[in-house]
Amino acid sequence: MSRESILKAVKQNKPTSLPLPEIDLNVFAEDKDLVKTFIGNVEFVGGRAVELDDIKNLDIEIKKLYPNASKIVSCTKASGLGSISISESTDPHGLEAIDLAIIHGELAVAENGAVWIAENDVTLRVLPFITNDLVLIVNKKDIHLHMHSAFEAISKRDRTFGVFISGPSKTADIEQCLVIGAQGAVSLTVIIL
Amino acid sequence: MAHADEAAIFNKDEAKVNWHDKALWFVRQKRDKSAHNVQGWETLRDLASAIKANVLSNLDDYLIQFEENAKKNGVTVHWAADAEEHNKIVHSILQKTNVKKVVKSKSMLTEECHLNPYLEANGIEVVDTDLGERIVQLAEEPPSHIVLPAIHKTKEEVDVLFQEHLGTKPSNGDPQYLTNEARKHLRDKFLKADAAITGVNFAVAETGGFVVCTNEGNADMGAHLAKVHIACMGMEKLIPQEKHLGVFLRLLARSATGQPITTYSSHFNKPAKGTEMHIVIVDNGRTEQLSREDFRASLHCIRCGACMNTCPIYRRSGGHSYKATIPGPIGSILSPGKDLTKHSSLPFASTLCGSCSDVCPVKINIHEQLYKWRQIITKDVPQPVVKKTTLKMAGRVLASSKMYGIAGKSARFMLKHMPKFIIYSKLNAWGKARDLPEVKNSNFDEWYKNRQKK
Repeated sequence: MSRESILKAVKQNKPTSLPLPEIDLNVFAEDKDLVKTFIGNVEFVGGRAVELDDIKNLDIEIKKLYPNASKIVSCTKASGLGSISISESTDPHGLEAIDLAIIHGELAVAENGAVWIAENDVTLRVLPFITNDLVLIVNKKDIHLHMHSAFEAISKRDRTFGVFISGPSKTADIEQCLVIGAQGAVSLTVIIL
Repeated sequence: MAHADEAAIFNKDEAKVNWHDKALWFVRQKRDKSAHNVQGWETLRDLASAIKANVLSNLDDYLIQFEENAKKNGVTVHWAADAEEHNKIVHSILQKTNVKKVVKSKSMLTEECHLNPYLEANGIEVVDTDLGERIVQLAEEPPSHIVLPAIHKTKEEVDVLFQEHLGTKPSNGDPQYLTNEARKHLRDKFLKADAAITGVNFAVAETGGFVVCTNEGNADMGAHLAKVHIACMGMEKLIPQEKHLGVFLRLLARSATGQPITTYSSHFNKPAKGTEMHIVIVDNGRTEQLSREDFRASLHCIRCGACMNTCPIYRRSGGHSYKATIPGPIGSILSPGKDLTKHSSLPFASTLCGSCSDVCPVKINIHEQLYKWRQIITKDVPQPVVKKTTLKMAGRVLASSKMYGIAGKSARFMLKHMPKFIIYSKLNAWGKARDLPEVKNSNFDEWYKNRQKK
């Protein structure tokens, strides 16, 4: 292993210590309608955003949006549409045929339309990627202005795996033509409660 | 071959060059729009630059801290001095875990180390899973851009390639159809893979975690299905604390494609139950670059590709003309540090317009470094005789106002009176594919003197 020789070379070659800058969050403060900005950005990145007044209408709304989904994994008590239950011991490869996953996101970010979900929210890490379609639910009060605020909010978490998801999977690798639905979920709906 | 000669090959297909030029400029415009939407954008750039400078000046401490925390998280950490050691380490992990099939997401580092051919020679199947990377892998070519690997290929070329390798139907290059077929093909590969290799966008010293950014979801499809995940990172990918991700994730995608953030920003800290996670920290010339005061800031790079999209030379010469893993302006200041002779023409593949430095999210003084490499190269690497003598003459002419006046006069005289076939002959490179300016009767000096007389 080259560990020692690398560290020694770095020590020799590095410049004199430069200070770590402080981040002054006042520079980024903006008086914006967080829900409106978030919805605008979800749509900009190819997703769909739905504002729901009553949590009781959640399943009706999801059924309306995804009428053909039959193999559904629900990771939230708010929805009773789950037809397949999973646990930590489920083989993730078995999720290949899932039509729809419904997941409650812990927080969202207005500036880029991203929703944060952690391992605890999905049981199996691969779920939000392997599912054909994805529904993420977020509470209005959990929408943050920018990434600085989002990282502050998740700073005390148990760090295993977590992901910011902004829109459905996409690519523009063939002649820069945007195609929604690359290797991950082909559609994303964010339901805001 | 020098960059200019390679670029001439790319320029044979004029329609394609024009498309390439416009497509990348469009991405640059999207970057501008996106950046202007962010309050405090310039502050973000300043912060990113200062954080990276702090990292480089304490890199050994951060590396040790990162290793310690990653180990606590149950991750195995490896150290590689060069490409060869990196490849050996990856192969030995795969051997120990009895892996035959690997899926790989985009990692410029593994391109730099030529990992694929190494593993293939050892009987391991490696499938690149980013669509653009898969396209160039099937075409047996290197990527021509670090964010848009297949930007040099037309959709018709992709169509033919997929017919041959994936058995698709002819579609006149329908991107929707081709992407969908690739999705099916890659799903099968993900499900059968024993191990996943990913790159690392940012590694956090404070937590021992790392972040991988993709739009397609391919890194996650690989890493969460396979029983072994190997993340390969250049040592400069470190940042001190998790809160600094807030700065870098706001800059990266906006600078790269104009998106406010990539579709997926995945934060890996601990392996999932029943799986293994490895991190390979790679030097491969980075400590040497760290020692060069004038060029060390090139290690700030977060691989967004903004300097390529904005560069008038890159856009009209194509990534392959650089003959380096990282093409474009940033590649032209990194590559000479690795092999000065081989890459000696790259710092000259620039107009020194400075646009690359203006868009760089971590404020690398790219164009100044290009100029500095030129000073070193002209001293250390033998230059073509024509260039040497021409520049020597130019030096003499420019040093004497009398000679400069004569030269200007005779040039204007010749431009005005010489037959077109001579002016636009092969000897005059400035007449190639462009009209020379119309000659006025006097130069500025004469005009100014006349004006003073009145």
